Amino acid sequence: MSLEERELEVLIGPQHPASGHMRMIAKIDGDIVVELRPNIGYVHRSVEKLAEAKKFLQIIPLVERPSLADTTANNLAYVMALEKLLGLEAPPRAQYLRTLLAEINRIHSHLYGLGIHGVMIGSSTAYMWCFGDREPFIELAQELTGARLSYSYIIPGGVRRELPSRFTEKVEKALRYMENRMKDYFNLYLNNPVTRARLEGVGVLSKEDAIRLGVAGPNLRASGVPYDVRKVEPYAAYPDIDFDIITEKVGDAFARVMVRVKEIQESIRIIRQVLKKMPEGPILHEKYIKAISPKMREYMKETGEVKFPGIFANLRIPAGEAISRVEGGRGEVIFHIISDGKMSPYRMRMVTPSFRNVILFEHLNRGVRVADIPAIYGSLDYFPPEADR
Amino acid sequence: MSVDKTIRHVKALATGIKYLVSSKRMTLMYPDEIEEFPDGYRGMIKYNWDTCIKCGLCAMVCPADAMKMYISKEESEEGKKPVRRPGINYARCVFCGFCVAICPTNSLKFTKVHDVVYNTLEEQVYPPEKFREGVPKPQYKKKPKKMRAILDEERGLRYEPVE
Repeated sequence: MSLEERELEVLIGPQHPASGHMRMIAKIDGDIVVELRPNIGYVHRSVEKLAEAKKFLQIIPLVERPSLADTTANNLAYVMALEKLLGLEAPPRAQYLRTLLAEINRIHSHLYGLGIHGVMIGSSTAYMWCFGDREPFIELAQELTGARLSYSYIIPGGVRRELPSRFTEKVEKALRYMENRMKDYFNLYLNNPVTRARLEGVGVLSKEDAIRLGVAGPNLRASGVPYDVRKVEPYAAYPDIDFDIITEKVGDAFARVMVRVKEIQESIRIIRQVLKKMPEGPILHEKYIKAISPKMREYMKETGEVKFPGIFANLRIPAGEAISRVEGGRGEVIFHIISDGKMSPYRMRMVTPSFRNVILFEHLNRGVRVADIPAIYGSLDYFPPEADR
Repeated sequence: MSVDKTIRHVKALATGIKYLVSSKRMTLMYPDEIEEFPDGYRGMIKYNWDTCIKCGLCAMVCPADAMKMYISKEESEEGKKPVRRPGINYARCVFCGFCVAICPTNSLKFTKVHDVVYNTLEEQVYPPEKFREGVPKPQYKKKPKKMRAILDEERGLRYEPVE
């Protein structure tokens, strides 16, 4: 039989094949994947167009929605672009609080990715563990911001809440728990010969290809490219923090998993430093504090809860363009805002890491076995709503 | 099979057995147990009719169009000009808390209530008169135990009953 006769088209999805609604159109010859094309757009929510009809502050909860497991990155990148246009910078304490939340978010976002990957390759224990261990970090974030995932914590000029009482102590407990728990992760899952057999040497992405295809985040670093926006273009409190860029040489599915695992450990290091170095001071820009009534300023001091000045309702942003970049859990998030001086942006462009990584589905799944598709998919930590926006 | 692989197999099994014998569960048996949320939790919103100055900032800042200004009938008839007060639609609310943050008189406040069941969509709309009555009480078949989440070095999370 010729290849054309033997070839079979298999549709994987679109009803939530793994981490969200998407479809993969696979052409298979026996057990070998000849070609796999990702079919995206099932969860397109037109965030960019919607933003043009919303006021600047109202866009904060909107940009968080596409990537629900990793909301801080989008929130931070968007607000950073606004601040560039406004020509103001958040006070140092606010910068540290932003970094703190970003790193807590990175840990639970990575655990989310590792968990989904675990269940994709058949280890439901890894899934349960990761999702269970997300909980302490979500609990921490909830205490800091008041919500489990959609924090809307970062606002132009600062953040919305002061550190809760005895927060440092609680964070330290969660961090120690995670560090101890990591040993069991290695014993049960990461060093398990079954896991290794499923992941090692599967879906190898070479360094050259990773650069050529414009891959972002842990997937890029797993191929040996030391690129991290936190180092390349430091923002928030990262210039003062000592941390390393995690890279792996091999570029296979296991390397991508290991980058995430090591980044969790690195985030633990960053959180400790942030809490240690946290400066005193206001958490909102003084220009906005002045705009708040004296009675409410008193209330802010008492409770540590930031009140918005009235101008936030119809915040006008000076005309101009701004681009901001942030290293989120899944990779580089870029926001490009064009303002024409009105209450809504003229145009908002949002580039998410998942959108840049979706090309890997086609690139990595050529010539692999069908059972490797989930192993590769999971290792990319691809999140369809984030890519579709 | 190599020695190294065998060791790793044994280690994985041993870890599994370890957790089988001494499990570290962090399950909350909802709805028999419910979590008591930390202060500042962004739940449903209560409205103070008397301190509200009807400025409309909450409706202006709302990202989901959940908060809207309604014409308050009685007051409008009394004063012979339209008086507007905020009302909320929980079918649209995203609990971002911008309205609470922007309220210049603290007339809007968070409660810790979040688990309420509605039979119809209309019930989720709270015009000012209904909004002032406060948030609905969650109904449980059996009175649940209130538990507080405590971060723990050994178990990650642990739930303790609240007195």
